[in-house]
Amino acid sequence: MKEVMEEAVLLFLLLVIYTPDAQGTRYSPPGKPELTRCRSPEKETFTCWWKPGSDGGLPTTHALYYRKENSDTIYECSDYHTAGENSCFFNKNDTSIWVNYNITVVASNALGSTFSDPVDIDVVYIVKPNPPEKVTVTVMELKEWPFLRVSWEPPHKADTRSGWITLIYELRVKLEGDDEWEMHLAGQQKLFNIFSLRSGGTYHVQVRCKPDHGFWSEWSSTSHIEIPDYLHREKSMWILIAVFSAFIFLILTWSLHMSSHSLKHCILPPVPGPKIKGFDKQLLKNGKSEDLLRVLVVSDFPPTTPSNYEDMLVEYLEVYVPQEQEVLLEESKDLHDSCLKFEGSTSDNDSGRVSCDSHTLLMDKCGEAKEEGRQTDQEDSTTEAEAQGQQKDWDQDTLMYANGDILSPEKSSGRVKTWPSVFSPLPQYTLSLPDQTSSLEMAKQHCYSDSLFCPGSTSSYLTHLGNNDNETLGPGSWEICLSNRQPYSHIPQMQTCQQVRSHSDVNISTIARKQEPAGLPLPFFRPTAYVEVQRFDEEDMVVLQSIVSDHGFHEGFPQMLQQEDYSKVKGVDSNNMLLLQTEAMKEDGDGCRCQDQVTNGVTESSCTLSISTTPHKPTAHIHTVVSTQDEMAQPASGYVDTATIFTLPTY
Amino acid sequence: MDRVVILLSVLCLGVSSQPITDSQYLFSIAVSRVQNLHLLAQRLFSNFESTLQTDDQHQLNKIFLQDFCNSDYIISPIDKHETQRSSVLKLLSISYRLVESWEFSSRSLTGGSALRNQISPRLSELKTGIQMLITANQDGAEMFPDSTALQLAPYGNFYQSLGDDELLRRNYELLACFKKDMHKVETYLTVAKCRFSPEMNCTL
Repeated sequence: MKEVMEEAVLLFLLLVIYTPDAQGTRYSPPGKPELTRCRSPEKETFTCWWKPGSDGGLPTTHALYYRKENSDTIYECSDYHTAGENSCFFNKNDTSIWVNYNITVVASNALGSTFSDPVDIDVVYIVKPNPPEKVTVTVMELKEWPFLRVSWEPPHKADTRSGWITLIYELRVKLEGDDEWEMHLAGQQKLFNIFSLRSGGTYHVQVRCKPDHGFWSEWSSTSHIEIPDYLHREKSMWILIAVFSAFIFLILTWSLHMSSHSLKHCILPPVPGPKIKGFDKQLLKNGKSEDLLRVLVVSDFPPTTPSNYEDMLVEYLEVYVPQEQEVLLEESKDLHDSCLKFEGSTSDNDSGRVSCDSHTLLMDKCGEAKEEGRQTDQEDSTTEAEAQGQQKDWDQDTLMYANGDILSPEKSSGRVKTWPSVFSPLPQYTLSLPDQTSSLEMAKQHCYSDSLFCPGSTSSYLTHLGNNDNETLGPGSWEICLSNRQPYSHIPQMQTCQQVRSHSDVNISTIARKQEPAGLPLPFFRPTAYVEVQRFDEEDMVVLQSIVSDHGFHEGFPQMLQQEDYSKVKGVDSNNMLLLQTEAMKEDGDGCRCQDQVTNGVTESSCTLSISTTPHKPTAHIHTVVSTQDEMAQPASGYVDTATIFTLPTY
Repeated sequence: MDRVVILLSVLCLGVSSQPITDSQYLFSIAVSRVQNLHLLAQRLFSNFESTLQTDDQHQLNKIFLQDFCNSDYIISPIDKHETQRSSVLKLLSISYRLVESWEFSSRSLTGGSALRNQISPRLSELKTGIQMLITANQDGAEMFPDSTALQLAPYGNFYQSLGDDELLRRNYELLACFKKDMHKVETYLTVAKCRFSPEMNCTL
């Protein structure tokens, strides 16, 4: 009971307490108002708005008081209604520019009043004009490319005419349905053009303005405009253009296709391949231009003597045997002719030119030829096979002419093979020399000049030999050589015989020289004589004949001239040296010995060396030859030449 | 500066011929220059205000109301009506005085040295331009009173010997006053220009 009583009392007390409190709270002084903003639309008047606080349950009134700078006078707002509720409108009389206003709002009710926080404003900086008015949007036709023209008027209150307020404008455009606006700043102008419109689209346009120092106005009401369709006219045109261009393209393609061949030939003419006789494409690919040129030069090309052979400017000499002078003459003449082809370098040390008729010349030529042969041999191994083949051919040809016993095919071949070897250190040529002693059929030695022109490979020569002048050479040569002691067959063809001949010549000449100091008439002692392998004896001896001109170039020569056989293959040395000897000099033992080196053609000149009484090593041959030549003294300039020749190829 | 020189030469050459056109050109130039100066002043002020703390800002606002600008002695129209009532020459003279008052004081303004260094020469140029306009528009009779020139002196003395706190306040005041005065000149010149040749782009 007591508890219940106590609770009741408590409740009653609470009620008593709180009810007056509740009633009391409703009446309180007003809450604090707050000035939200003040704006001037034209820099002549302005309005301030406030937000009232709680009213305290009692009717609350608000008042706005303001004070101008540098003045203590407090003024109250005179117009609370123009601008709406909770606003104060300052008319023109009350508005001063460039003057700070201190504005305060007071809320008051029966219980009290509350002041708001003061706000300082300067009218100049609170200008926010009204939106532009009379916004008009029109579609202007510009040669079927329409554009929009937007025009407007400034807000009527803003006095831009007197310059009191300067406004700048901005407009925005968007297509109906788009979310983003396209902004355009128009400056102070009241006109604006919009281009690049979408055909048939509807545009929304809005304009707003701002004083030079102030706030942007609100956007004007949206203006709608519809663009007429103008693209369909374009479309048809574009379609037409596209079709036309496609048509033209097709025509062009077709015509190109039809004439593709002729065009191709016109634009990209086929590159002609090389058509030079004797031109070896493989050589070109190998990149050895030297070799290539050498080949070219070798093969019936106008001879360009290598610098080495400058000294071989010896004219062709004709050496012939007095006995068969006639024949010799003829042959020599032939030789001469062939030699003439090789006019060119002179290898004379005496710097002079030995007359064509001089023996020495011939010797020189032979020596040169030999050298050349050597060189060519060494240089070009590829042509070796060719040479051999040609030699074979040649041999066969020779066989025709030669006496039956002259050469067996093998021999001939061997001869052919050995021929170059004999005369030159060409390794290529010297093949089965030892086997074929008879293979000594040295080619007719010809003018050195021939050899002069085998700067390159002897093989080339040989090939040439085989190729071109096979017939002529073979038979010619053989005729001369092999025919029964016929007068010398000089190598009829210079070309073919060239190197071989030269070699033989050289050898022979050297041989001849060698013999000379020995006092033996060297059968081939015509340095420049044409020495030809006339035939093989039954004894497998190569008969060498040299075509000597009348001009005696050496004292020994006349003797030799008289000899028919100037060289015989005496045999093959153990060193695989073909020993040549002159028939006349048989008693001497060694005539010209042309030592063929089967394998190593380095010292082909050993031929001569062998002849000389002094033994020499193959390599030394050259030197000896040289020495002998020196001993020979001068009459035979060819010696000198040959010396040089021989020395040259000392590899 | 260059423009002013050119204008001077042109003016000397053809003073008699088409003075109005020259004045219009001068007006346009003066207006554009003062607009530029006002923008500078605004930038300076906003920069300064941004450096202040919020408390200082409120405080300064209050203080500013109580102080005054040094150029207050120059009586100038403060509303549109008054301004429009004034003659062009009066407006020009007032503008001239305002610019002149700040010509040397602007050097003491705080803010970026780059900005500050630009203000004084520009003020000088503007002053020269306004002078030219006055000369062009002067009918010969009216001269602004010399008494106002005497009041330039206190400006310098007023801000002497101030403490650090005062310094902040002083800077604030200077910047605010400068901005206001530039706006004044801009308005006056614009109104004068439009009044001088209403057919010009004032109707825009």
